[in-house]
Amino acid sequence: MTLPRIDRATRVMVQGVTGRAGRMHTQLMRAYGTNIVGGVSPKRDVSDVDGVPVFISCRDAVAATRATASVLFVGAAQLLGAIEDAVQAGATLLVTPTEGMPIHDALRARRLVREAGVMWIGASTPGMAVAGTAKLGFLPEASLLPGPLGLMSKSGTLSYECGFRLAQRGVGTSVWIGVGGDPVKGTRFAELVPFFAADTATEALLVIGEIGGNEEEELAAALAACGFAKPVFALIAGRSSPEGVTMGHAGALVHGSHGAYADKRAALEQAGATVCGSLDEATSCIAAWHAARPRL
Amino acid sequence: MYLLEHDAKTLLAHHGIAVPRGVLAESDAIDTLALPPAPWVVKAQIAAGGRGKAGLIRTARSEAELKSHVRDLLGAEYKSKSVRACRIEAQVTGATEAYLSFMLEPVAAGVRVMMAAQGGIDIEASAPDAIQSAVVAPELPALVACGTELAGKFPPPIAAALKDAAQKLAAIFIEAELSLLEINPLFVQPDGTWVAGDAKIVTDDDALSRQPHLRALLASRAAAYAETWRKLEHGCDYVVVDPAGEIGLMTTGAGLSMMLIDELRAAGLKPYNFLDVRTGGLRGDETRLVHVLEWIAQGPRVRVLLVNIFAGITDLGEFARLLVKAFARVPQLKVPVVARLIGNNLDAARAFLAARDIPVVTDLGAALEIVRRHFA
Repeated sequence: MTLPRIDRATRVMVQGVTGRAGRMHTQLMRAYGTNIVGGVSPKRDVSDVDGVPVFISCRDAVAATRATASVLFVGAAQLLGAIEDAVQAGATLLVTPTEGMPIHDALRARRLVREAGVMWIGASTPGMAVAGTAKLGFLPEASLLPGPLGLMSKSGTLSYECGFRLAQRGVGTSVWIGVGGDPVKGTRFAELVPFFAADTATEALLVIGEIGGNEEEELAAALAACGFAKPVFALIAGRSSPEGVTMGHAGALVHGSHGAYADKRAALEQAGATVCGSLDEATSCIAAWHAARPRL
Repeated sequence: MYLLEHDAKTLLAHHGIAVPRGVLAESDAIDTLALPPAPWVVKAQIAAGGRGKAGLIRTARSEAELKSHVRDLLGAEYKSKSVRACRIEAQVTGATEAYLSFMLEPVAAGVRVMMAAQGGIDIEASAPDAIQSAVVAPELPALVACGTELAGKFPPPIAAALKDAAQKLAAIFIEAELSLLEINPLFVQPDGTWVAGDAKIVTDDDALSRQPHLRALLASRAAAYAETWRKLEHGCDYVVVDPAGEIGLMTTGAGLSMMLIDELRAAGLKPYNFLDVRTGGLRGDETRLVHVLEWIAQGPRVRVLLVNIFAGITDLGEFARLLVKAFARVPQLKVPVVARLIGNNLDAARAFLAARDIPVVTDLGAALEIVRRHFA
């Protein structure tokens, strides 16, 4: 399965559209240009939210609107069921901002989407965006300037900060994907390498990782294996975090040498990436690349 | 949450798994404890690997020796954490040391079952052909079948012990929704019975709401798992990263907060805490901010509070209003405050904070400069 490129024609439904977050972000996504065609809510007495038609199941929403993508604003305990609903209805791209999905539920959801050939971004993601075109989730507009840099991140806020600083320096993004900070997730860094390698709008890649798990090491192997030809910049948070303590994100847990900063940095450098030690360094490196890059 | 060995063993014993008899010593008053028979192993309770190599696991034959080890280990510092308790348990003798673990495989969306006839060592350093391992679906029948098949590749009596252990531990792994369950060493007696010599368990904090037994265990040991307990009670992530830290942090976002700590340390400054306060979840109530300020006020060396918020969606004016209300409720926090804010409604935030003479800057470097001046 590969990531479909979203644009203003992509038909998007919102599960949990009648909730506080669902309603607010539906408005913000529409204002940004996202083509929200419908919402899903078990509340049978609601026919629309701010003009978006509401259905009681994904099956009904897809039948009526031909939605292919879904953004899920549902509670952690309901997320697995909502993902099943979306997959059964035929959605091919799911974005789940929900934080706190139980890990064993995430294992089941990942098996389900892989068997069905569905792309799942999340959980615990701020979403994804094509800057200036459409966003699924709640990436802040101040950080979204159109440009040539592909961006993928485990962290929301750290990516906002990076994107904002880069935008201030005139460097924008092509496709921005928050993979989320959970240990078991729908889409891992390495799984996005073929997309960014093929995406003609992406001229370089910024990876914002953090301690815990082995996604950065796996990414390094994937970059090396496919001979990724575009420059790769990386920023990895948590190098001074204590061992054995979860640092906010459920996946940010170092135990023994597993998930430690040094291994991630070494693996990415070995694969040819430029690993930056600070936000300032990342911004400067990328701005320098941006200024010197060959123009097509 | 990475369980301390004592709690991991208590959990296993609750599920009927044999563990060496042991007690938890939180002081050197060991004569008040119901000690198992000598000789003993004294194990510092700390959530970090490599305890043996660091001298944090010792044996004792007499009560005097035992007391001296407990005294030595309590308060010992290891990997920036201090030992607050020791588990004293009966030493297991005459057994073979095997290895068994279940761990998540996030790529395959399954569970890896791993076994070895020779545990008790750094398992990753042992020869690959000494380890039997396979990845299966995260369901009990698949785990049990896999455990039985892998165990069959070892000679008796290890095969019988590993088969039995795999069945029982797989059930616990699934039922308690664990992320990691590792028994190393798994002591195998000549008669094929087995005992969990050590236990490394990582639980899923996000599953605690439907794991009443784990939640109760956590509640009974809240002081030992302050971070997880706080998150359950208050809805935010807070970790004291350096008890001698000098800069309290009021920050949102796990990644940005971690990065800020890295950058402060690289600049020679000493952050006290990590915090993801989740500004989006405050909903007009300053209570969470009050708690955070109270915790930071407990830092004996905290001399400055640095506020760093990147508000993508959140209204900074609303946040600043709540923060000012929270400061009024925590008068014991008397340190100067530096605020670095970016995002929606910044001007309103400036106005609220100006009323308390709190400088607001938008550049993180500029904020660090002001912080540094407080230490000059």
